[in-house]
Amino acid sequence: MIGFFILGLIIHAVAMALPAVQRHDRVLNRAVNLLNTLALVFGLIFSVNSLLTSQLWDARWPLPFVGRIHLACDGITLFFLFTFQLLSLAGSVYAIGYLEHYVERGVRIRWHLMSFTLLILSLQLVVVVQHALVFLIVWELMAVSAYFSIVLEKNRPKVRRGGFWYLVATHASALFLYVFFIVLHDRTGSWDFADIASQAGWDSGTLALLLVSGFLGFAIKAGFMPFHSWLPNAHPAAPAHISGLLSAINIKAGIYGITRMFMFFPTGPEIFGWALLAAALISAICGVWYALVQHEIKRLLAYHSVENVGIIGLGLAVAWLGRCLGAPGLVALGLAGALLHTLNHAIFKALLFFGAGNVYLHTHTGDIEKLGGLAKTLPLTGISFLIGAVSICGLPPFNGFISEFLIYKSFFQGGNLMGGLVPLVFLVSAVGLAFVGGLAVACFTKLYGIVFLGENRLKLSERPGHEAVSSFPVLLGLATLCIWIGFAPGGVLRLVAPAISQISGIPTARMGGELIAPLDGLTPVFALLLAMTLLTLGIKVWTQKRVGVRLRETWGCGYQSVTARMQYSASSFAEELIKLGQPMLGLKLRWKPIAQVLPEPRVFKSHSYDQIEEGLWVRLNRTIGHALMLLRWIQSGNIRHYVLYIFAALIVYLIIAFVW
Amino acid sequence: MVTFSSNPGSWLVFLTLLVGAPLLSGIVNKFKARLAGRFGASVLQPYFDLVRLARKETVYSRSSGFITRLAPPLVWSTTALAILLLPAGPFSGAISFDGDFILLAYLLGLGRFIQILAALDVASSFEAMGASREARFAVFAEPIFFFTFGSMALVTGRFSLQSIVSGIAWDKPLFPIFIVVSSISIFFLMITECSRMPVDDPNTHLELTMIHEVMILDASGFDLMLYQHAASLKLLLYALLISSLLNPFGWLNPVAGVALFVGVLVVLAACLAAIETLMARFRLVLVPQFLLYATVIGVLNILIFTFSH
Repeated sequence: MIGFFILGLIIHAVAMALPAVQRHDRVLNRAVNLLNTLALVFGLIFSVNSLLTSQLWDARWPLPFVGRIHLACDGITLFFLFTFQLLSLAGSVYAIGYLEHYVERGVRIRWHLMSFTLLILSLQLVVVVQHALVFLIVWELMAVSAYFSIVLEKNRPKVRRGGFWYLVATHASALFLYVFFIVLHDRTGSWDFADIASQAGWDSGTLALLLVSGFLGFAIKAGFMPFHSWLPNAHPAAPAHISGLLSAINIKAGIYGITRMFMFFPTGPEIFGWALLAAALISAICGVWYALVQHEIKRLLAYHSVENVGIIGLGLAVAWLGRCLGAPGLVALGLAGALLHTLNHAIFKALLFFGAGNVYLHTHTGDIEKLGGLAKTLPLTGISFLIGAVSICGLPPFNGFISEFLIYKSFFQGGNLMGGLVPLVFLVSAVGLAFVGGLAVACFTKLYGIVFLGENRLKLSERPGHEAVSSFPVLLGLATLCIWIGFAPGGVLRLVAPAISQISGIPTARMGGELIAPLDGLTPVFALLLAMTLLTLGIKVWTQKRVGVRLRETWGCGYQSVTARMQYSASSFAEELIKLGQPMLGLKLRWKPIAQVLPEPRVFKSHSYDQIEEGLWVRLNRTIGHALMLLRWIQSGNIRHYVLYIFAALIVYLIIAFVW
Repeated sequence: MVTFSSNPGSWLVFLTLLVGAPLLSGIVNKFKARLAGRFGASVLQPYFDLVRLARKETVYSRSSGFITRLAPPLVWSTTALAILLLPAGPFSGAISFDGDFILLAYLLGLGRFIQILAALDVASSFEAMGASREARFAVFAEPIFFFTFGSMALVTGRFSLQSIVSGIAWDKPLFPIFIVVSSISIFFLMITECSRMPVDDPNTHLELTMIHEVMILDASGFDLMLYQHAASLKLLLYALLISSLLNPFGWLNPVAGVALFVGVLVVLAACLAAIETLMARFRLVLVPQFLLYATVIGVLNILIFTFSH
């Protein structure tokens, strides 16, 4: 079966080489994306088959300079590989239609296609490589290729700025990972993940350094607060298929890293679990609250990724704590919630970003306040976006509910297992998750209600069918997955089971009864909900046929000349909730009160900003910049001075070497 | 495991509750009228209203789309399904599983989600204003639900509504106090979620001040009937939660249990009516504070319980 995977990688390589020989952008777009799609189908055959049959694969290949490198597909790898391949597949198919519009506008996409392919390729490799040095190289490839994919429209300053945010964040992440793996190598004498995992008995100082550097490295990539600032900047800058994949799978590489840390520190200290729980809860709550303020679709969705990464983190934290306590059942429950939410979030977030891409293609704006009534002009995008929105709020009967349900359950079960104040902490976390759920509902009713419902606020063409037809299979496919995982979670949980079994130690065979069966029991409940809804709908339609239906204007309390611009705006909808989060959410209002009897035209502007981004990162950057200005005299630009520096450095080295 | 009750009694109770829900609203209205010194409409008036609405033609806004047409059945069926999860007094719920209270909260959440969208669908500022308020209050109401039932799950060590209710040890000290105070939290929740005074005024006629009523301003005919019935089901749902909790069945024979169960429902209706007669509606900015009071009550409750155990 591994042959399928290797074949897939080879096809990716061919797709990457294609831009060098074919110069016609339109042909190139189709050829590269179709080749990638084909490669990913092969890859999926491998990963799904291996997961279902629990066939793990392990190999050591010789590589020049590095020695024999360890490649393996264990449970964790296979699950993430499956997630990455599935969503890359969706992204590749979506890109065919989406990039067509760039080709029409004369944007050159050759380099973009190359980096896009490299991104997909390196994402798959990053989970397979089990050798720290090669891992770092592939990680860097992934980071850089994602950067080049983001800055497709590099002529726009906003895009360059967003891309730069990403580049800085991803290298900050890599920096911590260098520390992490070099210290690991220093203590274990091996680059091999298997050797690192078998190392026991860390001294507490090293362990603290490792956990902090490892967590920071992966958390920056995953977008935990307060390292989230690159997400809302990079996502709107990227074309829709890339922003979808950034949120769906690129940040999940960070989640993969944290999951991998479970294997490195099997006896891990409890304190790390609590720290992770706190970080996750803060990410979830602040992420969704910031999302509520946003007026730009993609920026809003990016903040929701911060929220969802927080929710995934909650599950991981419970699993970590469960392992410290020696409760494998709790580990399984927490991990099942976290990993399933990883997959679920990938699916509905890609769906939402692709839907946002269609909105952008149709209206050429991402500003929520200017849109409206799009469900009528973009019917299919509207319906699939609705399914994505319901799913991301964790509402039944869609997939988001299943994973959040597992996380809730792990909190209550964990609270029951542990004594002291732990149940209270878990209770507060569960309540926090409920609070996040409430805010998410407010946020997505705002987004969907303002953008897709009501009347069009812009004077756009009202004619329907102006949708990107090539995106239909992707949107419908992802929406179907949301429904399918919601109604029958058992099937997908079987794909998560090997990873859970690898970490918790519970054999996959026992997973069926303990984890999957209670969830499969939800299927008839949801079926009942569907049946009741359809029955009521049927009776309603039948009755209305008999007594009649009329179409009239909306009730405006007697006011006759209502215009579309008088509709409630997104800012008004969220205003009170934003006020409640005031010290945390930055909000600037610019207006003058009306003083005269006959008022002149007035301007009211509200602008929200991210306190962490402005107050922490931008300020930090400025401070460092100022501090470094003091050293500017070193860079004199005079070659003689540089020769002197080199000479001085050489002497210092020699002295050190001599004295040591 | 999810268990569907094989006892036909549970399903019969469910049907009775579906039919009987408007009666509770009728009783509340009757109490209110009497407290105000009026004779008031018959307790069956809600039924007459529902029948009248069902026989009227439906008027849809030209701005509305599929959401407006889909929302009433969905709101109704999510509320009805939530009722199925509840134990009603001495009768066990028709569906029961570990963590069913999570599903209950999220089912109501789904109903709310679609109702808010339906309000935004007709492009009316009034309805969107109500939708905004509904979304805002839900943000504070949902944590109360999880706090109350989460703490009860942790205290009893059980995770389904049925087993929580039957797992309350009435003979242990502090337990009765814990349950009674938890019921007060749920009562606060009931006032908010069912749009009762002092959070919302069910009888107001000014669009700017309404919450729930303004969201269904453009609904009519059969749609409005479904909304109204779903609202009375929701009121019944919270009343059931309280009356099932405040019922030490282990100590009572079934007849006394049913009597107590119905008694608590009637007392709750009287309480709602008394509050609506005696109090004015809060200014909207005070509502989140009102809900935070309920949260604080819950927090103190679980803290006292944990530390004295």
